[in-house]
Amino acid sequence: MANVVIDPVTRIEGHLRIEMQPKDIETSTGTWQIVDKAWSSGTLFRGWETILRGRDPRDAWFLTQRICGVCPAPHAESSIQAIESAFGIQPTPVATMIRNILHGAYYIYDHMIHTYLLVGPELGVIAKYPPMVPPALGKDGIAKLGLGSSYAQCVTMQRKANEIVTMWGGKFPHHASEYPGGMTVKPTLDRIASTITRMAEIWPFVAKTMVGDLLALAEANEHVGEAVSSLLDIPFRGLQDVGVCTGNFLSYGIMPDPTNYDDWLAVYDRPGRRKSALIHAGAWDGDYKDFDLRKIVEYVKYSRYDNASGLTPDKEDAPKPNMNKAGAYSWLKAPRYGDKVYEVGPLARMINTFGMKWKIPRVNPLTGEDLGDFEYTVLNPKGSVIDRVAARVALTLLIANKMFEWAIALKGYLGQKVTNYRDVPESGEGFGLYDAPRGALLHYLKIKNRVIDNYQCVVPSTWNLSPRDDMDQPGPVETALVGTWLPKDLDVPTIASVLWPDEDIDLTPLGVSATVNWGDALATALTPLGLAGLNLEPANSSNFNTSLAITVVRSFDPCIACAVHLIKR
Amino acid sequence: MNIGLKLSRRNFMKTVAAMGATAFLTAFKADIVKALTDVKDYWHICWINGASCSGCTISFAQIAEPDLIQVLTEITVGTSGLPIALPDYMETIHPASGTLAESLKERWAEGQQGKRIMVVEGSIQDPGWCLIANKDFREHVRETAETADAIVAVGQCATYGGIPSAKPNPTNARGLKDYLTEIGINKPVINLPLCPVNGEHVLLTLAAVMINAPVELDEHGRPKAFFGTNMHDELCPYRPYYDRGIFITVPGEGEGCRYKIGCKGPLTHTDCPSRKWVNHTSYCVEVGAPCIGCSEPGWPDRFSPFYKEIPGMPTLLGVDATTLGQGLLAATAAGIVVHGVKRAATGKKKEEKKEEV
Repeated sequence: MANVVIDPVTRIEGHLRIEMQPKDIETSTGTWQIVDKAWSSGTLFRGWETILRGRDPRDAWFLTQRICGVCPAPHAESSIQAIESAFGIQPTPVATMIRNILHGAYYIYDHMIHTYLLVGPELGVIAKYPPMVPPALGKDGIAKLGLGSSYAQCVTMQRKANEIVTMWGGKFPHHASEYPGGMTVKPTLDRIASTITRMAEIWPFVAKTMVGDLLALAEANEHVGEAVSSLLDIPFRGLQDVGVCTGNFLSYGIMPDPTNYDDWLAVYDRPGRRKSALIHAGAWDGDYKDFDLRKIVEYVKYSRYDNASGLTPDKEDAPKPNMNKAGAYSWLKAPRYGDKVYEVGPLARMINTFGMKWKIPRVNPLTGEDLGDFEYTVLNPKGSVIDRVAARVALTLLIANKMFEWAIALKGYLGQKVTNYRDVPESGEGFGLYDAPRGALLHYLKIKNRVIDNYQCVVPSTWNLSPRDDMDQPGPVETALVGTWLPKDLDVPTIASVLWPDEDIDLTPLGVSATVNWGDALATALTPLGLAGLNLEPANSSNFNTSLAITVVRSFDPCIACAVHLIKR
Repeated sequence: MNIGLKLSRRNFMKTVAAMGATAFLTAFKADIVKALTDVKDYWHICWINGASCSGCTISFAQIAEPDLIQVLTEITVGTSGLPIALPDYMETIHPASGTLAESLKERWAEGQQGKRIMVVEGSIQDPGWCLIANKDFREHVRETAETADAIVAVGQCATYGGIPSAKPNPTNARGLKDYLTEIGINKPVINLPLCPVNGEHVLLTLAAVMINAPVELDEHGRPKAFFGTNMHDELCPYRPYYDRGIFITVPGEGEGCRYKIGCKGPLTHTDCPSRKWVNHTSYCVEVGAPCIGCSEPGWPDRFSPFYKEIPGMPTLLGVDATTLGQGLLAATAAGIVVHGVKRAATGKKKEEKKEEV
């Protein structure tokens, strides 16, 4: 059987190709196709680590954040922490507090835009949930059918979050206000008040709409599970049985405590969990485990590099690309923790901090209105599509709550010194460890003769989209795709009609006098846009519907520009 | 420049004609929506990404007046409900992927002649470094450019090569115009640099193309309306500090001109100080940071180290910046003479800049 290929995978950052080898399964209801093996390949190489060498170390954070325009802020943060570590300085408490606010707002934007603009549309389709389907019928569709109502609001809300980033950072993407040892921006009452004003608009969207949309998805998911399991005659509970990974989760933590920065730095010297931070570090393998920096190595057996394999980041050289390396199928390296495959990302952050049961208050910080706690229990301890989506929503709420606290606390720091200034040292080396929205992000810097001698980045999407390693273990996405249903010759509207047969959608408000089922309603929206063949990929004289598979891939929020040392197969 | 908010399309177009594209390109919301609402045909946009970080796409998503949803749902053709500009292809946010996405490029190519816009984000490298649908990005660019009726390069990478082309330029990256010239395509390219592009620059440029407003370009292919002013000489709100010799010397401490912590404003042409970013919220210099010059050809190499004072720049008429500033301050009583000196200094400076950068 020929492989099913998705190239390009859209609604992610960058250039990604996914190749899947299908296999038949026989059940009482017929012959069905699922993914047997999968390969993920990034298709762009730019050579950032090579470009960095010989430059002023202070420029590194400007340049590395431009690795990625979707998650620039965490690159800036990991980089500035690596620089500070190499300079032998700590940021001032006021700078750490400003960074928490800037990165908090940034996180809200990023998790929001992924939830609605990137992974959301397929979820809305699968769950028969119009607010998360893009507004394909325009203003009328939003007003009369609610089609894309949350999606449209998200576009405004993510911008308001980025207005906060811009207020403290100068612009977004690619803010300008960090400096080794602190920030160039000062806290002012105007900036604090403007932050709170923006949050007053953002918080209700997060606490009501985002949480509400997730709960609606979870409810519909039960129906989807029943419908699919009876159609295929296989045990299938829903989106908790799609995108299942290894159950190993790695986090470096985010949002350090400005009054306990030593705890944040301690993991450079010994294993630990950074428990004073909002989100902890850890290497969950079924239970809480300390994170040990020395257990991170990168393998390159299947990666197109002539570099040595199995080295820790500080021992690695600049990339030596070799397009013709025998047996290699990817530009991505394969990072492993203690030689095992670890998933990184929002679910890893939540589990390493709160375990499998989460409870987050929803009390409006300004009005005191209590919407009731948001509670969630992880549905699949090995990770799944729905759990990853839920973790993003939970983190957005958690951070939205904290933003008010941080902004008010910052008032206590007015007028204090913002930067522990130090000029570039003759030599030094250091790590920066900070979670990007997509997962654990490591920067390593070595300075010699006051310039960058070596720079290495081990980024989230390199973990999650990595190829097989020297032990032949597939990477997280390659693992998570196995077993995913690839409906043959069934387009999106047809599947939607099978999952949701009730004819209960009234199109009269749009001037079409008909009451139709979900699939027909989708066809009405998709066809004029030329999108009737959405997610269909040809192979073996058939068309395979890749909606579920691409949702598995997107649930990891791939960022291929980040995965730098990227690839082609 | 305020051109009023309630113009009819006819009057609006008259205004554009009378005042030039600059007036249009600084206008917002009501004017744009109104002007575009009367355009009767679909425009087709093909937005392709090469060696990019997708930051320009994200920056475009930050536009505010009108915002992205308004653009797609309110500026529609007649009563069709369809947006005036269908983004036939846009990798980062488009609904379609894989085979369908690639086929939509063909639909774009089959769009009405004269109404097909190509937007390029990211630089163009030597063969083999960037593949999309198993085809080299270079080929995607060539095919799209051959068809396109208007071509817009967004961001520093697509305009002048950006960081991927920085020393030692491991993949031989370059900007769109250079690549098109190499392969013998001599269509005009509108360059919208900055890192990333300012989303409003994209929106206003696309709107200008659609209503056929003239867009006057400078010698680097940039619209003069956005990039025709020197940040330091003409726009910087901190310029008075410079003239008085008051400088920030340690980042994050005190207030003053950012020149001594490496501000490249004197070498940079952009409207950042007036337009600002993300709903006009702020810009780099306002948060105490130096301008790093990302609107200019040769960035980043010619503008780094970013925190290093511009070499040579201080020597205007034989005195350094501090002395010049203090000298001007002391000479304030001389009034008109001061302005004469400033003008002389500025004129001389512009000539020197070209050689020094």
